[in-house]
Amino acid sequence: MRQFLVLLAVSYSGAAASVWWLSGFFPWFLLPDFPFLAIVFAGLFMGGPVGFLAAIPPALFRELTVSAPPWTFFLSSMSLYFFSREIGLRMFVRAEYYILTIVVGLLLTESLSIVGLMLVAGSRPFSLLWGAEEAVRIAWTGLLAVPLYMDLSGRWQRVKE
Amino acid sequence: MGSFFRKWWRLLTAILLLSVAIQFFVRPPLALSRADSVHAAGSVVFRPVYATVDYARRGIHTVWSHYIALVEVSRENDRLRREVAALREKIHENRDTLLENRRLRELLHFSEAAERKTIGARVVGHDVSPWFQAVFIDAGIEAGVEPGMAVVTPAGGIGRIHKTYSGLAEVLLLTDGRFAADVIVERSRVRAIAEGMGGNLCRLKYVSPTQDVVAGDRILFSGFDGSMPKGILLGTVVSADRPREGLFQKIKVQTAVNLQAAEEVLVVLSRPSIPFRAGKL
Repeated sequence: MRQFLVLLAVSYSGAAASVWWLSGFFPWFLLPDFPFLAIVFAGLFMGGPVGFLAAIPPALFRELTVSAPPWTFFLSSMSLYFFSREIGLRMFVRAEYYILTIVVGLLLTESLSIVGLMLVAGSRPFSLLWGAEEAVRIAWTGLLAVPLYMDLSGRWQRVKE
Repeated sequence: MGSFFRKWWRLLTAILLLSVAIQFFVRPPLALSRADSVHAAGSVVFRPVYATVDYARRGIHTVWSHYIALVEVSRENDRLRREVAALREKIHENRDTLLENRRLRELLHFSEAAERKTIGARVVGHDVSPWFQAVFIDAGIEAGVEPGMAVVTPAGGIGRIHKTYSGLAEVLLLTDGRFAADVIVERSRVRAIAEGMGGNLCRLKYVSPTQDVVAGDRILFSGFDGSMPKGILLGTVVSADRPREGLFQKIKVQTAVNLQAAEEVLVVLSRPSIPFRAGKL
């Protein structure tokens, strides 16, 4: 399972980098959301002041690189950290399927919330194709989270011990 | 009660933060938009990253287009020869119109230079999220760039400056859902509001079914709302549907410029006549 996921991760990364470098078009749906993964990892596995501090840089990165109204992405990212922490404390997250479900669930919730807010605000820049691309991005980021989290959580445990 | 808060404080904090974020999203506070020192500092940190990634991408793109993709050159050469012949013919046709146009402009004392003072900038980064459509350019506050200024290319409009930093500015693209501007149909002079709808598309709003808009019509910015310069090309109508029910036509416009692939742009350095509020257009 893990070897397959790693192979999938490498192939997707290669495809995304090729599309971007050769065409100049930014294939966001092929790229995993690394800052999101970092925040959720800090919540699920690290916790405490260290986890909180670890979640701040990726939250700031999202705030600075996403063209949303000021501070919305920083606050929602920190909210994501606390949600993840709550899940991490109440669920057994070492099983691969749990990790996949948690990450996909959180990504889906975030995406649907933003789409909902934008629709309420009166803008509708979404289409069927956009939905398909977003589904690819969510599935792909969730799949990448499994081997990444399994590996990193093991290393983090050893560091703590 | 105390034990409830002790047990659930993380969840309550998450909900509180999320509520504030939603409030800021729907009603961005003006004070926060102004006090943007963290964003300014962050832009200084990320500017070299954008520049490095952009440099690497351009390097690989150059190697590809100059050496590896030479197979296509011969075919492209033939196509370009045919295009040059067609364009020469077109130039002859347009010469008279051009001279007449020049005379009329002089007659009206139209000062193009004063109205369209621009500076060139390079696109150095893209918004990394799937929800918003924006690019970053390497011209910022020092160059006189201000929020609300129009960003164009000779081929058509690109968008509007959203935020400015030192040496960097964020451009909200025409196709972003928050972009809206007054436009006019070149052929029939029908006015409408263009709004971003993702991809490379915009929609035209408030066009009555009785008004004359068909696929293939060119859409220009009217300049009436003061946000984009008059006469700049937005794009071409790809579909115009007249629904049986409903007050307005459903019109889709494909932007003239491939916004995701634009590399060099011009910022029109005239201040917008309508006050601009970052985050809420």
